Amino acid sequence: MDAWWQCEVPYPFVPQDVLTATDSVRASLPNRYCDPKIAADLFEEVIDEFLLCDDLGMNVLAVEHHAGINSLLGANPLLVGILARQTRQVRILSLGTLISLRQDPVRVAEEYATADVISRGRLEIGFVKSGGSEMASNNANPVNNVERYWEAIDLIKKALSHQDGPFSWEGKHFTHRHVNIWPRPWQQPHPRMWSATGDPETAAEVGRRGMVHVLVLRGPEGTKRAYAAHRKARAEAGLPKVTTDNFAYAAFVYVGDTDEEGVRVGSKLLWFLHTSLKSAPQYSRFLPGNSPPPAAPQLYRTAPPAGAAPGGAVLSAGQNAARLTSISAEQAMAQGILFVGNPDSVYRQVMDFYDKVGGFGHLSLVGRSGFMTHAESEKSIRLFSKEVLPRLREIKPVTVD
Amino acid sequence: MTNASGSAVAERLSVGEVELEVLRRGSGRPVLLLHGLSTIDPRARFLDLLGRTAEIIAPSHPGFGLSSRPADFETVYDLVHFYLEVLEALPYEKVALMGFSFGGWLAAEVAVKCRHRIDKLVLVDALGIKVSDRETPDILDIFNTSPQEVLRRSWHDAGLAPDPNAMSDDELIVRARNWDAACLYGWHPFMYNPQLKRWLRRITTPTLVVWGASDGIVKPSYGRAYSALIPGARFELIERAGHHPEIEQADTFAKVVGRFLDR
Repeated sequence: MDAWWQCEVPYPFVPQDVLTATDSVRASLPNRYCDPKIAADLFEEVIDEFLLCDDLGMNVLAVEHHAGINSLLGANPLLVGILARQTRQVRILSLGTLISLRQDPVRVAEEYATADVISRGRLEIGFVKSGGSEMASNNANPVNNVERYWEAIDLIKKALSHQDGPFSWEGKHFTHRHVNIWPRPWQQPHPRMWSATGDPETAAEVGRRGMVHVLVLRGPEGTKRAYAAHRKARAEAGLPKVTTDNFAYAAFVYVGDTDEEGVRVGSKLLWFLHTSLKSAPQYSRFLPGNSPPPAAPQLYRTAPPAGAAPGGAVLSAGQNAARLTSISAEQAMAQGILFVGNPDSVYRQVMDFYDKVGGFGHLSLVGRSGFMTHAESEKSIRLFSKEVLPRLREIKPVTVD
Repeated sequence: MTNASGSAVAERLSVGEVELEVLRRGSGRPVLLLHGLSTIDPRARFLDLLGRTAEIIAPSHPGFGLSSRPADFETVYDLVHFYLEVLEALPYEKVALMGFSFGGWLAAEVAVKCRHRIDKLVLVDALGIKVSDRETPDILDIFNTSPQEVLRRSWHDAGLAPDPNAMSDDELIVRARNWDAACLYGWHPFMYNPQLKRWLRRITTPTLVVWGASDGIVKPSYGRAYSALIPGARFELIERAGHHPEIEQADTFAKVVGRFLDR
C-alpha cells in the first residue's frame, strides 16, 4: 500500500461570530476575512510539510476547492507546479483540477503535461466531479456537470497522448479546432489517472476506464459499495480483474506518540466537518441536478407529511448534515473516517478498514486541517512515515474478485 | 400532433420526439400558454376565469412537469423551435400566445420568428433580455440566492406561495423536475439571450406586457423596458402582485388579459 499526504490549506482564522452569522462559509463569505499575510504563512508551512514528506518518502496530494474557509487551493495547477519542482523523489497526485468547472480542458492538459515534465514523470492526474458551492464560484451549470466531467477527461486524455500533430474536437460541451500541446507528458502514453466518486453510476464508469478509484470520507459501507460497482462494471464489460492498486481511500489521519495524543490532536481535523461544511441551501440540498427528482419530498419538506410514521430509516439531507457537523471523535473513528492514535493503533485502524472494504492500495491522509499547528502536523508526518508507512508498504496489491 | 389521452385535466401529446403533458381548460379563442419556472397548477383560478372565453392549451415544456425531454434537448434554441413545431401542429390558423416568466422569454422568441401563426402576444413578468449595465443583474439568480429571499422577492404576499409541506410526493417530484430543467435551459447567461433585445422590433403582433408591481425577480422597470422594445406594445401593471400576478390577483389578471384578447 502506498500513502499520500494532503492538506487542503484551510483558513480557520475567521471570527466565530462571523461564521455563526453567515449562511455559508463557502462561495459567499467576503474575502476581506482572508488576510493575505496569514494566507502566505499558511502556504509556506504547508509547502514545507509537503517537502518534509518528500524527504521522508511519503507521496503528496494536492486538492482544489474554491472560495471558502475549507481551502485556499483554488488554483490546483499552481501548487502542483511548485511541488513538481521543489519535491525530488515522491509522486505527486493532483486530485485535482476541477475539470467540469474549467472552460478549456486543453489548457488543463498543458498544465498537467508541463508539471509531469518538470517533475520528470512523477505526476498522477486525479479528477474530481465537484459540486455544491463550487458551481456558483465557477459559473458552472450544475445540471450537466457529470457529462462535462467525462468529456473533459476524454479530451485531456487525448491531448496528453496524441503525438501526431493537431487534432480537432467538436464535442457536446467542448470544442477546440487545433489541439497539439507542447511539451507532451514525460510518462507515456500519459500519467496514471484517478477519479474520486462514490455514486454507483460514476463508480461503474471509473471501473470500465480502469482509473484509480478514490473514496473520500465515505466510511466502510459506502466505500465497499463503490468498489463493488467498479468491479462489477468491469466484469460485465468483459474487462480483466483489477488489483487493490486500483482502489484508494481518503480519511483524516493523525499519528501521535500515544493514543491519547493521537486522539487529542487528531480531533482537530474534525474542524473540517464541524465548521467548514456550512453551506447555504442553494448550494447544497437545492442545488439543481444534485439529487434525482424522486428524492424531492425529503429535500423540500421541512416537516414530515401528515400521517407519516415517525423515525423513518432514511435521514433527511438536513439531518445528515447535522450529524456530520456535530460528529465526535469516537463516532468518526467508529465510522472509519478518522484514523488516530499511536503508530500501532493507526496501523490497526487502517487495516481494519482495509479488511472491511475488501482491500485498497492507496491511503490518502487528510493530515492537517482546522487549527492544527505546523509543528503538530510535522510530528504526524514523521511518525506516520517512519512507523506506519513501512508496514503498509508490505501490503502488496492483490487481485480482488 | 396526436391526442393520446382523453383526460379532462391533463392530456398527453406527441410532438416530434417529445411526449408532452398538456393542460387544457375552457373554450373560445385558442390561447397557447407557456408556463414559467414552474408548471401551471391545474387548480389555479385564473384558468377558469380565462377559460370562460378562451380555450387554454398549456403544455409543460420538455423536461418540466411530466413532459419528456430527449437527450441533448437542453437549450432555449431547442424550446423555441419545438414551440414553432407545436404552433404548426395545432389545428388553428392562428392562436394567442401567452408566456409567464421563463415562458415569456420563449413566447417573445417565438413571436420574433413566427408572425403568421400568432394573432396576439401576452408577456407576463417575462425573462429573456438584458437591460441594465454589466454589473447590474436584471433577473434575480434564483439558483444563487437563498430560498427565503427567492420566496420574498417572488410574491407580494408570500403566504400565497405553495407550501412544500402541503404538497404530495408527486407534486414535489414535479417541482424538482421543474427546478432542474429551468437550470439546465437558463443557467448561462442567466435567463436571457443577449441577441433577443435587438430583434424584438420584428414583433408586429399586437402585444400586451403585464407585470406584478411587487415583482422582485424581474422588476417593473425591466418590464417597461421590455415593452418599449416591442412596437406598439401596451404595458399594464398589476398592483399587489409579485412575479405571479395570475395567482396573486387572478381576477384583475383575467380582466386585463381577457379585455386585450377580446379586443
